[in-house]
Amino acid sequence: MMKNYKIILLLVGAVSLVTACKKYETFPIAQITIDRVFDPRDSLGTNAYAFLENVYATMLNGHNRVGGDYLDAATDDAVSSAASSSNQVTQLSTDAYNSGTFADGAGDNVWANYYSGIRQANIFIANIGVVPVEATLPKHPGISMKYAWKNEARFLRAYFYFELVKRYGGVPLLGDKVYNVTDNLALPRNTFSDCINYIVSECNAIKGDSILQAPYASTANYGRVTNAAVLALKAKVLLYAASPLFNGTTLVKDAGTGQGPRNTTNAAIVGYPSADPNRWQLAASAAQDVINLGVFSLDQNGFQDIFLTQNNPELIFIRQGDNGYNVESNNGPIGFPSAVSKGVTSPTQNLVNAFPMISGLNINDPNGHYNPDSPYARRDPRLLYTVFVNGQQWLNTNLQLYQGGQSIPNSGVQQTISGYYLHKFMGHSEALNSYAAHSEDWVIFRYAEMLLDYAEAENEAVGPNAADYQVLKTIRGRAGIAAGSDGNYGIQSLSSITQDSLRSAIHNERRIEFAFEEQRFFDLRRWKVAPAYMDQQRLGLQLISNGQLTYNYVPILPAIFKINSFTPKQYLQPIPYGEVVKNPQMQQNPGW
Amino acid sequence: MRKIILFFLVIITMLPAALYAQGITVTGTIKDVEGVLPGATVYEKGIPSNLVITGSTGKFKLTLKGQSNTLVITFIGYSTQEFHVGARKNDLDIILQPNAEGLDEVAVVGFTKSKRVTSTGAVSSIQAAEIRTVPTANVQNALAGRLPGFFSQQTSGQPGKDASDFFIRGVSSLNASNQPLILVDDIEYTYDQLQQINVNEIESISILKDASSTAIYGIKGANGVLIVTTRRGKKGAPQFNLRVEGGLQSPTKVPKFLNSYQSATLVDEAETNDGVAPDALTFQPSDLAAFKNNSDPYGHPNTDWYNEIFRKYTYQANTNLDISGGNDRVKYFISGGAFTQNGNTKNFNDPQDLVNTNYYFTRYDFRSNLDLKANKTLDLRLDVTTRFGDLNTPGLNTPISTIYDFKTENPFSAPFINPNGTYAYNNSVFNTSKEPTLNAQLANGGYQHNRRTDFNVLIGGVQNLSSITDGLTLTARVAFASSEDYGIHTTYLAGNPNVTFPTYYYNSATKTYTKNPAAPYVVQQFQIFGGTDLYTNNTNIQLFSNYDRTFGDNHFTGLFLVNQQEINDQASAPQNYRGLSLKVGYDYKQKYLLEVNSAYNGTDRFAAGHQFGFFPAFGAGYVLSKEKFFKDALPTFSLFKLRFSYGVVGSDGAPGNQYIYQQTYNQGGLYGFGETAPQTPITGIFEGTLGNPDVVWERDRKADLGVDMNLLHDKLSVTFDVFHDLRYDEFIIPGAIPEVLGVGVPYINAGRVSNHGYDGQISYHDNIGKVQYNASLVISYAKNKILYEEETQPAYPNLARTGNPINQPFGYHFLNYYTQAQINQATAYINKYGSNAPLLQNGKVIASDPIGVPAYADSQNGITTLHAGDLRYADLNGDGVIDANDQKAIGYPNLPNTSAGLTLGAAYKGFSISVLFQGSWNYSVIITGNGIEPFESQFQPIDLKAWTPATAATAQFPRLSTNFSGTVDSPSGYPSDYWYINAWYLRVKTIDIGYQLPTKLLPFHVNNARIYFSAYNLFTWDNFSNKYQQDPEVASNTAGDQYINARVINLGVQLGF
Repeated sequence: MMKNYKIILLLVGAVSLVTACKKYETFPIAQITIDRVFDPRDSLGTNAYAFLENVYATMLNGHNRVGGDYLDAATDDAVSSAASSSNQVTQLSTDAYNSGTFADGAGDNVWANYYSGIRQANIFIANIGVVPVEATLPKHPGISMKYAWKNEARFLRAYFYFELVKRYGGVPLLGDKVYNVTDNLALPRNTFSDCINYIVSECNAIKGDSILQAPYASTANYGRVTNAAVLALKAKVLLYAASPLFNGTTLVKDAGTGQGPRNTTNAAIVGYPSADPNRWQLAASAAQDVINLGVFSLDQNGFQDIFLTQNNPELIFIRQGDNGYNVESNNGPIGFPSAVSKGVTSPTQNLVNAFPMISGLNINDPNGHYNPDSPYARRDPRLLYTVFVNGQQWLNTNLQLYQGGQSIPNSGVQQTISGYYLHKFMGHSEALNSYAAHSEDWVIFRYAEMLLDYAEAENEAVGPNAADYQVLKTIRGRAGIAAGSDGNYGIQSLSSITQDSLRSAIHNERRIEFAFEEQRFFDLRRWKVAPAYMDQQRLGLQLISNGQLTYNYVPILPAIFKINSFTPKQYLQPIPYGEVVKNPQMQQNPGW
Repeated sequence: MRKIILFFLVIITMLPAALYAQGITVTGTIKDVEGVLPGATVYEKGIPSNLVITGSTGKFKLTLKGQSNTLVITFIGYSTQEFHVGARKNDLDIILQPNAEGLDEVAVVGFTKSKRVTSTGAVSSIQAAEIRTVPTANVQNALAGRLPGFFSQQTSGQPGKDASDFFIRGVSSLNASNQPLILVDDIEYTYDQLQQINVNEIESISILKDASSTAIYGIKGANGVLIVTTRRGKKGAPQFNLRVEGGLQSPTKVPKFLNSYQSATLVDEAETNDGVAPDALTFQPSDLAAFKNNSDPYGHPNTDWYNEIFRKYTYQANTNLDISGGNDRVKYFISGGAFTQNGNTKNFNDPQDLVNTNYYFTRYDFRSNLDLKANKTLDLRLDVTTRFGDLNTPGLNTPISTIYDFKTENPFSAPFINPNGTYAYNNSVFNTSKEPTLNAQLANGGYQHNRRTDFNVLIGGVQNLSSITDGLTLTARVAFASSEDYGIHTTYLAGNPNVTFPTYYYNSATKTYTKNPAAPYVVQQFQIFGGTDLYTNNTNIQLFSNYDRTFGDNHFTGLFLVNQQEINDQASAPQNYRGLSLKVGYDYKQKYLLEVNSAYNGTDRFAAGHQFGFFPAFGAGYVLSKEKFFKDALPTFSLFKLRFSYGVVGSDGAPGNQYIYQQTYNQGGLYGFGETAPQTPITGIFEGTLGNPDVVWERDRKADLGVDMNLLHDKLSVTFDVFHDLRYDEFIIPGAIPEVLGVGVPYINAGRVSNHGYDGQISYHDNIGKVQYNASLVISYAKNKILYEEETQPAYPNLARTGNPINQPFGYHFLNYYTQAQINQATAYINKYGSNAPLLQNGKVIASDPIGVPAYADSQNGITTLHAGDLRYADLNGDGVIDANDQKAIGYPNLPNTSAGLTLGAAYKGFSISVLFQGSWNYSVIITGNGIEPFESQFQPIDLKAWTPATAATAQFPRLSTNFSGTVDSPSGYPSDYWYINAWYLRVKTIDIGYQLPTKLLPFHVNNARIYFSAYNLFTWDNFSNKYQQDPEVASNTAGDQYINARVINLGVQLGF
């Protein structure tokens, strides 16, 4: 019997020995945890820097961003060649959507993307302090680069809020808090005023020494936030805040009640309930601050060069893009076997008509000598770099943009429905057989915009004066418009121009200078002029080549889509349906 | 046992001494359908004391003393049989019939056994002998319809990959982990390992269904437990058993495709529907004529690809040899088996290169179970098992899915082979990729081959501790189970079949050959590329103590268990489990029964502090048939027991088997600074989905009320259970967290699903003269309902998932085929108001009763893409547009919620027959893509019934269109109750007809010989053959082009010596 106990004891012993030797794996070792991202031993800040890069990557690249189209195809400047009732920009353009239609990232629903960016920025801001980054700011050798990084994160956060506010009005401000699921996330929307004040105060706080100073100290830093980007953001935010949509908002009254839940929007959330003309002055001086830095100038290598040459003196802030030719493959003229394209974007005749003659005169001006049988001759040079027209050289060919021509074959494959293709942002492939790669950075702030922001705000604040009038001349001069004998580039003389006329001139200049740069969609709204433009037929060209060319201008948006449809609710985007459902504090925007 | 012996002693002492002793000596062999039965009890009727136990060869010798001239043979698990001794007194063959419902029947439950009469849990079990002749490679395939509460689906018939998915009492978890825990000799196996087990090695199979029986598995028990016990040696001379079987497999459903003439006609019909002018149709009258009279077999081929590629029958064979026996010190069971299954395609490979590109599966099993008696109180065991598997599949396309694929194979695209013997490529306007024909691909496309090795060892010892107290034992076990699966893939140099081997197009008009422009002139070098190596191993250490003792009327049992397990595989961090289990049972006079089970166990899947959980359960039983009042009132009942169990069991099947408690940071999101072109962006780091440190296992509160009855002298037995389970703390991703959080939300324990139903079995056995017969009906029903999953409130109530069963399909509701009048009405509406026009303007209805049209249909100009004969769906939200908001729950989930089996058997002398009918109800099936959609699928007979203006009233299929998959008619794009079938099926699942030769006719030392015919899936009836040509267990929401399930007819012979 005793012998058995020995055997059993041996077995028990063996079992417990094996058991005792086993260490439970308490965590999976292969994964990165936050103390490895922000590591007190990492004097290079390698992982923290990688984290910051990802915050940068949250910025959206506007090239073919909305369901494969440019956001501007949701304005009167263009339509999608794929226009159908399931096409996102067409839905945006024709009021064929609601708060539940667009999932995250679809349509212009950027809510989840930018709140994700805000969170990542907050994590960075909260944790970068422990990383002993040895590198210092180039112009301030005493200051650790981590303070610049932190301010870059603060800038990006402020920029993300601006992207939200310009679409939705006031949104919940999270401050520096990194929320957890167990926190109360049923946050109410902050007022529009709170949001503007927050963004501006952030800009004021970080514009100083502990951030990179423009111009870029080294080409390696190209793309990073500088003090100039901070000032540019502030100028733009204040410009929006001063604009009629927000400055003394009547949106709640105009849009009325809608069908969405909790549609009791407080006017202070969607804008300033009372108008204050002084806001234009604030906007003007903020833009003036950027101009006064004196480190930027218009790119004198030409309009096209702005988007192709990196680190040119006009660029204030960009979102990094690929080095490639995606713009061409998505939007270029079709019909080239060696350079295949989808021809997605169809610029409208409405846009083409907005470009003046080379004299700067409107095409309807009898002194402009516009020739309807040769409509592209002697036009503003920006026209041919914004759209492709018939006969223009491209890929060693003279483009055939007439019915049945090489690029409008009517063979069932997708092609332009307006008779024009997009040219802007494309590289120099005029004399090549296939596309050449080029920088495809997405421009967020450029000097020309600061100039026009300034001119607009100054004109609104004090009316036409030498300073705002000069801006228009400068922009037009760079564009290649002839100065004319009076040196006024086709603009009515300063002495006779009214505030309204100058406003119209500035508005049109923004349209043609910034076409497809995601300005017009918002400009039409903040100026509260959207119905006048969005309710017009989108016209296209039906060019018939029959020995000679016949120019027919026809409506191009399929008949099923509503024209005359712009409703006041469209001035702001709907808060995503799920957000309103999940959060009892979340007020929907008026009319949605 | 003690009681039984006592019972016999009492009877012996009370027997009158004055009985005639006739002195006749009777000899014979006791057998069951499988072979000889060692250990059966044979006694003389009326004189139970005159008994013998059969030896290892089943033989007995008994001298009769009384006058009854009748033998009574009893054996646990078999019906008691009386045998009248007639003129023949020697070499009698007595064949017992299995009967799982006897009072003393035992089922193996966790770490011990449980008697039917005293069990309080819901346990079903089966003796493997009943399923040993089922001609299938996998034990789980043979269980369908035999165990109440067992649900299975066999979605493929591919040799080596045809094991059924199975679930116990349906599913309860919103996550993928609904698979039961599988234990073989108390060691955990994976699904894969289970399907490798040879049924010949198995003694019995049990499933544990309720809290009382599964609680000791704690964190792993919530999905139920399947327990397999292997065979062990019995005392006696070596007994050899040899079984040799050969069978023919054929598909349960042979798909039919239309011939060239019919297909071409339908192509023209579809093109006409699409507005193609008559002179532009792909097939002109001359083509149709050529197809019809087959006048141009190469220019206008008419190839019946299915019959050219596939065999009608393929072979399978199974051989098993086992040896068992032993003495007082050593007992052994040694078994070896070889199983082989051939594939369903013909052989196209070049006989010279010996490359087998067909499917096949071969498996060799070996098992040695040894029991050693080290001394009086210590028993040791050593079990060793290995299994080797060889699995072959064609290297390129799967033949069945290629056959279905219209874009690859259709009857007019290519001749089977060119006149000069070269292979053709598919060449028609519908086959622009110019793929080689399927026979060319099978001839030259190489193979994928997997070799699998399983190795298991179990070493254990049982120490009898009766020196401490009677009835106490201590067991220690160490078990190691591993498997490795290594796969290689061979083919010619280039992977793309179009360019891999030369194929030619033969122009019958010019009698010239054109080589596939992309292909080489000669076959390229044969190469091996791509290998996979999967392994898993599982080390399990157990130490447990059993206690079983009776004090007068009080009977106590107990179990205390410590176990630890580590699972490794090629991809994950090791998984560790550890736990304690305790079980205490008590019964008073076998009348009042009580059992308490619990486990305290845990896993490292969760955060420290949340790793261990306590899972308690209790069971209680009341054996009314032991009460005097009951006996008096209903004397026919030998057993009437009510039992109830209640408890909480866990499931740790974390989604994705990840460490979901942990917050991780991930790499991704390229971004770069600087103006060098091309830029070299660096990889960013971002915060991944939040971790939830509090996350723990799912819990399942199980309640079960059951009744066990035996009546009519145990001839009729009934077991019936109703259950109500509530799975709670399920892993879900909360849908109510606003996006302002800015990051992915972690799993929380909040989901709730209820699952209720019933299962039961009624068995009856009796005899008419010398014909014994039995019948057994098994029924299972389990229906679940999602009570809470924190879903975001959907825009329309018809979209809500909560309240529906798990995996509920959603789709559109079919109303009718659009008529031309409706198309006109919708067009007029859209042209007038625009498709996006609100129905209400300033509170006034501006468009009454719009015809709902699909969202896509109004692109371009009006609704030109919609036509009469398209499927019209209900516009549930009334907005004039058919879109995702108009979907609702339709039909049932794919897993049937009702399953039943009926076994009928009869035996007369050496003849026996047993048939199992098995059926399932209340499940839904939809076939999509290549399986049904014209121009994706080859044309099928149902396409002949497509809607045309002439047949609008009787159409059984939407209008044909060359862009069928892009229309509203497509089952993949617009799933609807037009395409979802609420299905049922009934099968003759298995059948066994055999004859056992009389022992005295057997030569040499053969003591048992049986020849038999058996079959699997012999006949099938279902309710969707008029729409889909698939086996009823096909995976839903697929093209249904898996390897077709097999029907097997099988002949076997079994010898014992």
